[in-house]
Order: sequence, then structure tokens, then C-alpha cells
Amino acid sequence: MADEDRPDLEDMTVQELLTEMKDISEVIVDLAYASLMYNSRAMASKVNELEDEMEELKYAMRVKALLAARTKEDARELSGILQIASAADRISHAAGEIVDLLDVPPEKRPFITNLINESDEKIRMVRVSQGSDMAGNTIAKLGVEANTGMKIIAMKNRYGWIYDPDDDVKIRAGDDLIVRGTEDGGNRLADFASGRIPWEFDEEASDE
Amino acid sequence: MNRIENMLLELKDTSEYMIDLAYSSLLYNNTDLAEEVEFLERKMDDLSDDIQEAIVNLGKQQPEEIARFSVILRLQMAIEDIANAAASIADVVLRGLGNHPVIQMSIQESEVTIERTIIKPESVLKDRSLGELRLGSHCGMYVIAIKRGENFIYRPGRDEVLRVGDVLIAKGPDDAADYFIGLADGSETDI
Repeated sequence: MADEDRPDLEDMTVQELLTEMKDISEVIVDLAYASLMYNSRAMASKVNELEDEMEELKYAMRVKALLAARTKEDARELSGILQIASAADRISHAAGEIVDLLDVPPEKRPFITNLINESDEKIRMVRVSQGSDMAGNTIAKLGVEANTGMKIIAMKNRYGWIYDPDDDVKIRAGDDLIVRGTEDGGNRLADFASGRIPWEFDEEASDE
Repeated sequence: MNRIENMLLELKDTSEYMIDLAYSSLLYNNTDLAEEVEFLERKMDDLSDDIQEAIVNLGKQQPEEIARFSVILRLQMAIEDIANAAASIADVVLRGLGNHPVIQMSIQESEVTIERTIIKPESVLKDRSLGELRLGSHCGMYVIAIKRGENFIYRPGRDEVLRVGDVLIAKGPDDAADYFIGLADGSETDI
């Protein structure tokens, strides 16, 4: 969901708008929890930014839907789509409420890190070392999620933070990856990232 | 973890599961899945009530800790909002409005894919437990639900053993979908 790839809201179809909203609704909650876990204002502002974007998408969707309805049946079907859009928007506001908790001093919210650590899917940070096979490859080429089950929700490289990085982003030695997934997936990724075990490249994977 | 933290954990994990299940119900326009989301929403309401009651009681006993307790309440409310939003997505299916092709296409095009596949007799997955297979860490596909005969098994646990004929609904990255389907139909044996 890189911003530069996205056409103007007005040029997007109802389907594209809905896809975008679904994608944001899934990553925004992870980002919100991660911002609490790492006490990160930067991540919290990204959550707020996505929250605003969601709002824009929701209105663009309403306009599209109203213009598209010609019959009563159209209107009925489109009302369902609008309901999904509102729900996705509500999820983003809930994520906004979660990052608002950053204003509470960390000592008043010690249970939150605990809570995230005990969840089915955990959030953790791994650093890519010099000797790792991951260094120098794109996320697509590595197929990070397909190989470890860990989704990269944010990463920090020498240029700064990237949130919900696109597949064509290259991972380099020294990058910090904030990932979400199971405990053993996280351990596997940590082994790859430290260079302890070689990456298992899939011959069919490409940079596309 | 204390009792309240455990309840909050259950609330958090369930809310995330509800979103997955709600989007799955949309993709397949499936009322069973949508009804389960609704059922979980009612459970979440009860759990939320219990958390609030427990917090109020604690607050009476330890008024000096009110600031800390209020954080728990704020988090509980945010999570409950997420659960309500998931229920509202599933409601589209229950109202019979989930049939629009745009809905299915928008989910298929999204970053997180949802796949449905049946376990064939030649599959390497058959007769093995989810805990043993660790599909999540192995290929990034998390099993959301299993349809066995007429019944659904929701949020299957590690001990769940997969059988021939099981229909798995799983979510994960796009580039894992073919491999996952291959494992289920037996064309992929490398696990």
C-alpha cells in the first residue's frame, strides 16, 4: 500500500477502495500494539495517518456507491459494501484509541507488553546481521512471510522507518524488522537474520 | 498473569480471530462462519462485562491504582470496538447482502489471502496434528476453521488432527497459497 503507487481516490473503483480499506484494517491494529510495545511515537503517528487515510477512503467509497446505484437492488447491495467500509473504518479508530494509551506513562501500563507477548500471534523485533543471507535481498525474493509465517509490519533501515513495507523493499544488514507471527516462526526468523542458519531460497521466487 | 490480564488476553486474541473469520465469511458468503462471528461477539460482550466489573471492584480496593486500572478499561473498550466491527462485517452476510462480486474480488486482491482447500487422500497433511505441522511458521498459512462433514471446527488447536475430506480455511501471504494448496491435494510432498 505504498502511497506513491496509489491513484487518486476519485480514480479508484469501489473494489480497489475496499481492498485498500481491508488491507489497512489488518495492518493498523498490529502497528497500534507494536507502538505500545516499543513505546514508539513514530509508529503511533503512522497509525493516526492511516486512520485519516481510512476516513478519506470511506468518504470516497460513499460517493462512488451513491453514484453507482441506479435501482433498488443496486442500492441494497451497495449498502452492504458501505457497511463493510464503515466497519473497516471503525477498526482503524479502535487502533487510534490503542495508540492514545501512549500518553499514559509506561509504568502505568506494564501489562500491555505482557499481553502482547502472551498472545497467539506475537510481535517482536529482529536485527539483520552482516552474515545473514537475508541482507541484500528484497522481501519478495526472500518470501519472508511464506517461509517463516512472520509478517513484517514495520522496519527501520538507514533511511528511517518504513511501515507495512512493500514486497520490493530490500533488506540490508543492520535493518531492524518488527514482525508479527508465532513464537517458533519468530525464532526461525531470528536464526535467519543472525546468519546462524542459511536462508532456504525458493527457486521460483522472483523480485516481481 | 492475573485473572484480569487473562481475560484481556482472551478478548484480544478473540477480536483478532473475529476479523479473520468475518472476512472469510464475506469471501465465501457463508452464513455458518458469519453466525460464529456473531456468537463470539456475544461472548465478547460477556467477557467485557466481567472485566469491567472486576476493574471496578479492584478500584474500590486500591483507589491509588485507579490510573493503571483505567488503562485496562480503555484497552478493553478499544478491543470491544474491533470485535463489534467484525460482527458488523459478518452482519452483511447474515442480511443476505454478501453476494456482490465486488466484495469477493476485493478480498481476493488484498495483501492477506484467504484460501479454502480440501485434504485429499494423498496429502502429506492427513492424520497429522496442526501442532506437529506448524503450518503457520512453516509457510505462513494459519488455519482459521476446518469444515469436517457438516460441522465447522473454529479456531482449531494444536491437537487437532487433520483428516482426509477436511476442508481447511486458512489465511496467509499470497506467495504461500499455491504451496499450501499443493500440500492439501498431495501434489506437494516437501514439508
